Amino acid sequence: MCVGLSAKVLSIDNGTALIDATGAKRAVSAELLDDLEPGDYVMVHAGIAIAKITPPGDAGDAENE
Amino acid sequence: MSDTVTLAHGAGGTQTAELIDRVFKAHFSNPDLTGDDAAVLPEIRGKLAFTTDGFIVSPFEFPGGNIGKLSICGTVNDLACMGAKPEYLTCAFVIEEGFPMEKLEEIARSMAKTARTAGCRIVAGDTKVAGRGQVDKIFITTTGIGRIPENIRTSGTLARPGDAVIVTGDVGRHGCTILLARNEFGIEAEGVTSDCAPLAHAVETMFGVTSDIHVIRDATRGGAGTVMYEVASQSNVGIRLNADDIPVDDGVRGVCGMLGLEPLYLACEGRLVVIAPKEHAENIVTALRKLPECAHAAIIGEVTADHPGKVVMTTSIGTQTMLPRPGGELLPRIC
Amino acid sequence: MNNAREIVTSYRGRPLRIMEVCGTHTHEIFKLGIRNLLPENVKLVSGPGCPVCVTGAGFIDEALLLALEHQAVICTFGDLVRVPGSEKSLAQARALGADIRIVYSPLDALALAEKEPDKQIVFLSVGFETTVPGSCLAVRKAAEKNLENFSILGANKTMPQAYHALKNSADAFLFPGHVSVISGTEIYENLCRQGVSGVVCGFTADEILTALAEIISAFSENRTPFFKNCYPRVVRPEGNPAARKLTQEVMDSCDAEWRGLGVIPGSGLCLRPEYALWDARKKFDLPAIPGRSNPACRCGTVLRGDCTPADCPLFGKLCTPEHPVGACMVSGEGACSAFYQYGGEF
Repeated sequence: MCVGLSAKVLSIDNGTALIDATGAKRAVSAELLDDLEPGDYVMVHAGIAIAKITPPGDAGDAENE
Repeated sequence: MSDTVTLAHGAGGTQTAELIDRVFKAHFSNPDLTGDDAAVLPEIRGKLAFTTDGFIVSPFEFPGGNIGKLSICGTVNDLACMGAKPEYLTCAFVIEEGFPMEKLEEIARSMAKTARTAGCRIVAGDTKVAGRGQVDKIFITTTGIGRIPENIRTSGTLARPGDAVIVTGDVGRHGCTILLARNEFGIEAEGVTSDCAPLAHAVETMFGVTSDIHVIRDATRGGAGTVMYEVASQSNVGIRLNADDIPVDDGVRGVCGMLGLEPLYLACEGRLVVIAPKEHAENIVTALRKLPECAHAAIIGEVTADHPGKVVMTTSIGTQTMLPRPGGELLPRIC
Repeated sequence: MNNAREIVTSYRGRPLRIMEVCGTHTHEIFKLGIRNLLPENVKLVSGPGCPVCVTGAGFIDEALLLALEHQAVICTFGDLVRVPGSEKSLAQARALGADIRIVYSPLDALALAEKEPDKQIVFLSVGFETTVPGSCLAVRKAAEKNLENFSILGANKTMPQAYHALKNSADAFLFPGHVSVISGTEIYENLCRQGVSGVVCGFTADEILTALAEIISAFSENRTPFFKNCYPRVVRPEGNPAARKLTQEVMDSCDAEWRGLGVIPGSGLCLRPEYALWDARKKFDLPAIPGRSNPACRCGTVLRGDCTPADCPLFGKLCTPEHPVGACMVSGEGACSAFYQYGGEF
């Protein structure tokens, strides 16, 4: 019901995080998460980072969830 | 010459002549391209492959190519799929009034270079200019003739149980590149460029290994997945693919993950699906990998007598599942 | 995983019906061929967790009215584009000149509104707990910026009441991983106390097999009712409080109609009155549109898990992914589409 993708945070600027999922990069909203830092892994859904996560075994692996 | 293409360039007068001389003849120049109404070709012996294809792509330039390169690759690769050595091409342009002359030159230059790489000549052409809004910038149609060497016969009907299924590189790059170039989804992937390439040399290389190749198809619109279903149906055989063996660029995988798309259904413009007897498969792949445009060639599955007309995937956990049938417009899946 | 797989494949206990609530689970379970691993006495049934599937035809009709009568630009997730309304789909309306744009995020629709101030931009806000915060964020930003050319057409739903409506449809549930990211796991603890069993499940092969093994072990060992979070690397017990707070500030709960399940009180989310300016229904004064579906279509029964897609008289004949009649066929995540695409005999 909700395609999600785990991705690595590259940088954060003013509530927007640049994320990287195996080379695909996009700016997403980081406004729903506190204390996000570059290097953290997040679950992204519809352009919003919805959770800070433990990276999957193969870091940054596209899961097509 | 003016900076942009105008309606006068398509009116058949001096400006048309100027456009043809300065842009097309300047780049396409070869002994068979004359000022006459049609090219007169020397005698060609043997069976001929003959094909035509129209090209529209938005944007007309993209990482890894432009519509000019694409228009040559498309027709050259269609010929090559029949085992033919591409010999002669023609091209027809429909250009929107106001199109930058500099871009047209760039397109012509790419076409000439790609044709040279593929070992063929552009011997005739046509240019029409349409009013603003009547076409989307530039459309190109190319037609080509190639000679098929003796003892070579490929067709979508010739896949046999026991054959191996090969792709000549990672799948889905062109479709993914265009999706990103349209910039509708705000996604960037630096490493992702179009796979657009002429594959006549790759085909020649494969036939250097063996003449016993059953099917060659270029996986353009609809991607490699669509080709699998077409061949399974035409040859009335089953195809079984190994999910883990299908080469996919990491960036393409990331983009597909974000948008819920399947790389096997994204277009390629420089990838062939090849079906040949298993005993030749390893040698074919080894030979292909020496070519830069086929560096990621791989055996991805086999042809089976079971489940004719269907494509089955062996998943990463060893289970079997159907590859979904291709269907219509690719739409991102989000919610 | 091998252990989990062994537990799943070797189960010989009483027959079990496990409902995967989430459409993405349906899709991944087919794609990974997991159904083929299950012993005969374990049946997976697909639930109502595909927002497109549970949205009525009337919603598409409303969007078409906005596009064709009010010349609004419709921004939508790709999922909705081919869904049939009473007479046509958004794709068919696009061919007639409607301006339909596919977006990845509600925030992209908002950005378009800022870029094209002369056009009215309407975002089709479907989706569950996971997707709602994005819509709320877009509306709140529009309000902060006083953006008058942006609004949303809502059909948002929440899961808790649906679990109650479905509790007799299965022995245990695979709870949706990404809804749980937002909602947290307390709701499942409560359901467990009321006798409803289930586990929160991730989306990789390992995660799905582990979740199924957990359910099967619990039944084998008579540990029912039970709940376990089998997706702890992503789902925290407390969920995402900031997302829930935002949702509560921007939206109110309301009754919602679910295709197949009927009206479930309190299972919908609608914009609060203070955000009425960004509510497309109010802004464009839309009439109530009941929407008509093909009467032979059994999407509703499929969504309750009461029949399989193959039991529907239209399935695979009149209704295919190329020519969908019901929403369960059109959505890539719909049970009918998944059965059709992956379920062939081989």
